[in-house]
Amino acid sequence: MVITACLCPWPPILVRDLTGRDPVIPGLRQACRTAVRRLVDAQPELIVVAGPAESTRTWDQASRLDPGVFAPALSSDDDRLQSDGRRDPALPPSLGLGALLLDEAGYSGPRILQAVADDEPVDACSRLGSALSDRTTRTGMLVMGDGSARRDPRAPGHLHPQAAAFDAATERAMRRGDLRALLDVPPALARELMATGRPVWQVLAGAMLPQVPAADILYAGAPFGVGYIVAFLQVAMFTG
Amino acid sequence: MNRHADGKQARTQGPLRLGSRTFQSGQPLIMAIVNRTPDSFFRPGSTWEDAAAMEQVAGAVAEGADIIDIGGVPAKPGMPVDVAEEIRRTVPIVAAVRGAYPDVVISVDTWRHEVAHEACVAGANLINDTWGGWDGRVAEVAAKNNAALLCAHAGGQEPRTRPFRVAYPDVMADVLSRTLDLAERAVAAGVDPSRILIDPAHDFGKNTWQSLEVTRRLAEMTATGWPVLVSLSRKDFVGETLGLPPEDRLAGTLATTAVCAWLGARVFRVHDVPETRQVLHMVSAIRGDAPPARTIRGLV
Repeated sequence: MVITACLCPWPPILVRDLTGRDPVIPGLRQACRTAVRRLVDAQPELIVVAGPAESTRTWDQASRLDPGVFAPALSSDDDRLQSDGRRDPALPPSLGLGALLLDEAGYSGPRILQAVADDEPVDACSRLGSALSDRTTRTGMLVMGDGSARRDPRAPGHLHPQAAAFDAATERAMRRGDLRALLDVPPALARELMATGRPVWQVLAGAMLPQVPAADILYAGAPFGVGYIVAFLQVAMFTG
Repeated sequence: MNRHADGKQARTQGPLRLGSRTFQSGQPLIMAIVNRTPDSFFRPGSTWEDAAAMEQVAGAVAEGADIIDIGGVPAKPGMPVDVAEEIRRTVPIVAAVRGAYPDVVISVDTWRHEVAHEACVAGANLINDTWGGWDGRVAEVAAKNNAALLCAHAGGQEPRTRPFRVAYPDVMADVLSRTLDLAERAVAAGVDPSRILIDPAHDFGKNTWQSLEVTRRLAEMTATGWPVLVSLSRKDFVGETLGLPPEDRLAGTLATTAVCAWLGARVFRVHDVPETRQVLHMVSAIRGDAPPARTIRGLV
């Protein structure tokens, strides 16, 4: 069952090398590192990385982000990595960034890289989450998703008047551990607001419900007009 | 006739026809930007009023610009500009410039076929479609008006949107594929092949790293034989590379201009005509495409 989860955004700027000489957003990187560290320290037997992508499928657990897809100057002819991973330019970046966070936290246990289609309906997301949790394995989830990319006029999606309220509602739901509220996020609105997290939040809800996890929000903000939220969720464990 | 690795035919750089003018390779051209918008990213509103616009055109022609580029819609998202408004902002000025300067080449910066057609009827010679054929009828309009057409790479992005985490396994391959495909479709639509240009369209559907890469590999575009246009002026990839705002990006723009000229680009879309002309003369002399102005030192 899924006993712990953390949520991270997946802007490519999480990769330090991608921001050039200026670190740009060290606070966000630190918050993600802290959340993933707590995930790994909970000693799950398996970590599922869930990230939005073009289609729903799993990827080889050795697949890693090829930073060259964003920054050709950072391509390398050597696609092997210290983590025994292999760079794959086709890997959805949301999963690539999740895998990178796990590697940086020193996690070497089994992992599943689960891509979830951007337009996957709510029911299917919820069922996928239940299936991921439907086993006795102590499972942790690393859920890679963002709020709205339309938070201000300079945002990638320019300003949408509903963007701030949408993100505020998501943050409230997460603070309360109210995963059922995440199932109510309408896919059409999330798409209009360019909120990549909708399908994977709903996978998380399917995986953890009916539990009401304790939640810590480590970061919530939109410095570039994209809503980033970093959170750690832990289910209360009963000892027999 | 040799072929590229992907099977597309290579062409040798031939003459470029714009309006009634013919330009040979080795003769770089300057396209001067005249923005008919209140909200462009650089010097917003400076040519919004008709008189100011005509004054800018006069200055650009006096400074040696070969092409006057008139556009009515900024590339960034913002206040909507519909077809009628875009025509209102651009077509009368096109007509006025044509009236005042019968021989200057005029381009219209638009992705819309309706605007392109009206501008061509008013005297425009080149359709500067920097959004990469989003409106599938632009090539047909170019053919009908015997106008030149720019075939640009915007990564399939919708006009007036910003790139959002755009990833390419090989950005240059994508640029070549899309621009060459547009060029071939333009020929099939009846556009005169000597009136077709290609453009990697820096910053369009590309982040700074990707814009730097298409600059570094520009020789792969010029090797296709299609004339290459670059629009670099004061763009964000220059600003992010140097950490500078638009008003301070001239040196970075000129550095990139020199690199692109060295690699064989033929048309340069710019805000700063005299400085660009000097850079192009210098590079032409280094390349051996044109003689220096006056050489006596060591020769007397």
